[in-house]
Amino acid sequence: MDLFLQFLANGLVTGTFYALSALGLTLIFGLMRVVNFAHGEFYMLGGVLGWFVTSHLGLDFFSGLIVVAAIMAAFGWLVDRVLIERVRGQGEEPGILLTIGLSIFLANSALLLAGTAPHKIEGPLPNAPVFLGPVVLTEMRIFAVAVCAALILGAHLLIKKTKLGRAMRATFQDPMAAQLAGIKTARVYASTFALGSILAASAGMLLGAIYSTQVTIGGIVSLKAFVVVILGGMGSFGGAIVGGLVLGVAEALWGGYVSTGMVDIVGFIIVILTLIFKPYGLFSARAERV
Amino acid sequence: MRALTYAQLVATAVFGSALALADDTIKIGVIQPLTGSVAYNGAADINGSKLAVEERNKAGGVLGKPIELVIEDGQCSPANSVNAAEKLIQKDKVVALSGAFCSSATAAIMPVAQKYKLPLLTGVSSKADLTEKNNPYFFRSAETDALLAQAFAKILAENLKLKKVAYIGVNDDWGRGGVEEFSKDLSAHGIETAMTEYFDHGATDFYTLLAKLRTSGADGVFIAAETQDGSILVKQLKEFGIDMKVFGVGSWATADFINLVGDAAEGIYAAVPYAATLPGERNQTFVQAYQAQYKQAPDKYAAAGYNATNILMDAIQRAGSTDAEQIREALKATNYQAPNGHYQFTANGQAYGFNAALVQIENKQPKVIATTSVEAPMALAAKGE
Amino acid sequence: MKLERNTLLILAVLAVLFPMLVTDQYILHIGIMVLFYAVLASSLNLIVGYVGEFSLGHTAFLGLGAYTAAILATRYGLPMWATIPLAGVISAALGSVIGAITLRLQGPYFVIITLAFAEVLRIIANNWIGVTNGPMGIAGIPQPEILSTTSTLFAKRLYFYIALAIAAVALYLAYRFVYSSTGRAAVTVRENRYVAQSVGIQPFAYAMQAFVLGAFLAGLAGGFYAHYISFVGADVFRFSFMATMIIMVLIGGKGTLLGPLAGALLVTLMEEYLREAQELRMSIFGLIVMLVVLFLPKGLMGFLTLRRERHAGNAELTGNAQRIQPQGGAI
Repeated sequence: MDLFLQFLANGLVTGTFYALSALGLTLIFGLMRVVNFAHGEFYMLGGVLGWFVTSHLGLDFFSGLIVVAAIMAAFGWLVDRVLIERVRGQGEEPGILLTIGLSIFLANSALLLAGTAPHKIEGPLPNAPVFLGPVVLTEMRIFAVAVCAALILGAHLLIKKTKLGRAMRATFQDPMAAQLAGIKTARVYASTFALGSILAASAGMLLGAIYSTQVTIGGIVSLKAFVVVILGGMGSFGGAIVGGLVLGVAEALWGGYVSTGMVDIVGFIIVILTLIFKPYGLFSARAERV
Repeated sequence: MRALTYAQLVATAVFGSALALADDTIKIGVIQPLTGSVAYNGAADINGSKLAVEERNKAGGVLGKPIELVIEDGQCSPANSVNAAEKLIQKDKVVALSGAFCSSATAAIMPVAQKYKLPLLTGVSSKADLTEKNNPYFFRSAETDALLAQAFAKILAENLKLKKVAYIGVNDDWGRGGVEEFSKDLSAHGIETAMTEYFDHGATDFYTLLAKLRTSGADGVFIAAETQDGSILVKQLKEFGIDMKVFGVGSWATADFINLVGDAAEGIYAAVPYAATLPGERNQTFVQAYQAQYKQAPDKYAAAGYNATNILMDAIQRAGSTDAEQIREALKATNYQAPNGHYQFTANGQAYGFNAALVQIENKQPKVIATTSVEAPMALAAKGE
Repeated sequence: MKLERNTLLILAVLAVLFPMLVTDQYILHIGIMVLFYAVLASSLNLIVGYVGEFSLGHTAFLGLGAYTAAILATRYGLPMWATIPLAGVISAALGSVIGAITLRLQGPYFVIITLAFAEVLRIIANNWIGVTNGPMGIAGIPQPEILSTTSTLFAKRLYFYIALAIAAVALYLAYRFVYSSTGRAAVTVRENRYVAQSVGIQPFAYAMQAFVLGAFLAGLAGGFYAHYISFVGADVFRFSFMATMIIMVLIGGKGTLLGPLAGALLVTLMEEYLREAQELRMSIFGLIVMLVVLFLPKGLMGFLTLRRERHAGNAELTGNAQRIQPQGGAI
């Protein structure tokens, strides 16, 4: 029983982290329908930039996070205006090819600049163990779960309550009508993309402080994030959380009771089953959209 | 002024490459992963190789000519490594090949080397059966897991006073080989196996694995993992409050690893073919030269690249020509003094005689606990004679 | 149609002559890789270009073909002329299963589910040690008997002609498919699913045929790969192969028979040529991919067609060309 509780706790924590690293993709893939294969590289950039500003520029973790967010906001905005804008409304293919090219470019350019070594980001809290009954956690992990919850809530409020959020929803439901209603849709697209990049990069920096960061991690992060977004349903923040938790707990139980050697297979099997039996995800925002 | 510099640049570019094309250098082809998930280790290997060539060229080169390394990115993928090998052999006309890091990539280029009758030396690929494929052009200046396990099983069993050990390895040929060989040799010393688990390369969260480890009843844990996975695993092991003797194989005796793991690295043991803290003057010179060049101490892959390249250059010198057959004969007679001991080859092309070390990390330094010479594998040596 | 057929025939003649004119084995090797990728890209193009759905799981068939040939050759001692066709057949069988499941989905859902299938196969290949030898992979896949006594140049030429034969089979089948009534029906489905349904075309059946044929051809390519590289590991299922294939199809121009060929040639040569750029090569490669999407959105063939039509000043044809654009959104 104690072991089960520990597995469950592990699953919930990693599940929250999966949700966190997929949030950016929820916006960019879920809402904007850009199948963004560079998502993992945005995450990686967050980690590597975070390492750079904290260990080379001597910033503390939070100021570093703000700097990284600002840089990545500008970066995301530019990517949208310069690249994505030109293939908008042409189906998935050009977007996929464009983001695959972007991911190859980013991963290898980062390799040239930051080197191949894994890097450590100093977190704001120690990684000392915290015992909750039979369950072991660390302060940093509890903190990360809290930040994760805050980010998810913040993003949710932004979309539901603010003017920008309303413009976003309008634009993704019907770009033509939104434009007629005086919404500058190009700006909305770019802001959404920038927001997605911020979320991906913040996740990269936060989790980099718990694990470590390396320029070559992008591919794995992208795959897991796609799994989470598909599980949760496209474009739904609540769904992303559920998707992340489902994936995290399923992996922890599989790893705990079956084998840790092929734990990555769990997510893909769940995706296949979900798409066969509930093709639009567990919590699709699709119903609102059409 | 600016125009002048520009003109100079162009001139160097044009004539520089023209010079390189001329036949006054001896070319050695190197295939290593420079992009992708093991690029970190491939880059260290290249650093070591470059240093070896630089030293040699300063001392007059080989056969009166400077050595030129032609480096290609094989990405540890069989197909890309074969592309690189074909290019190096056919287009660059290299006289010998070094590479290709991952055993799978090396296995794929071995037939290429044999086909073109060109010597191929790997300083890294550890899969045991590579030297048993009867490929007369293949040599390995690396330890295999079996050799390392044989060398250290007794020392580990006695020094660490282990009774029951859990085995954790990265799920690839190297990790599986390490776990299998060490569990075999430690069992022979009466140590029970508590559990055996593998994880995928790139995994970041090991809490589930560690929860299993904690309840396994082991008093020691063996880990086969490289810097990235290994550092996270060891760090989380201490976070998780597990107090077991930790030992393993991988590139652990390095500043990068110790820095990544932090305090949790204190006290862990690693069986390595090379550590910068190995005693001996030869090693000190190497470490100093490496540090002057790259601002960090060499790790086992840097040493592997350094040794492999030196062994090849040495063989070409003794062969007295760049003829592949003669280089191959010279390689067989290798007797090379490395920073970590002495290298010779068995008839199958497996190196032996060099040292391996058991290090313990103490005050952020890998302290050498014991060294032992890696013996020629008995079965192989017997077969060779 | 005529133009495409004639160009293909001219290319075939050139390809037959190529090994006789070239003695540099590196160039022959590149030629073999171009043909290998041409088969792969053509097979993916059947799905991307003629079904109009974007599969990211095509490595499933490449990998299964490669493992099939590797296992049949090493464990059961079958010769190459048997293993490669069998690799195709087994892949086609898997293709009919995966196709039956995935082709019910469209758009991004189809993209992700095909990717998930390829990843599942990769993980199985990496862990089912009894069959696939796990991460150790299968090494020493036998070469044709005849090569043991001949020169390396002869071996390269032989492999070139084998690859050429497979490419010819692939293009012939693709050609027959595209210009059959089935192929035309598939194009109708791609252009407008609802119109197609209204004239009695069943989209699913046609998509299935294209999907299975694509899987068969990718399996052949995989079988060839196993023998030529002589090593098969789980990396054949990896996304990097997939990325290369997609880049080839889209750079060349999807939905044409010549596009994937042009893409295979261009991308393979570019990757080898970029070796000169050393550390920068992958960054430059990524940049080129992005530039192609932005400036040659319909690939090389689309660009050439457009230019020819502009040249002819034929307004009607231009209108047609625009109609062939994929439907935005696709849902």
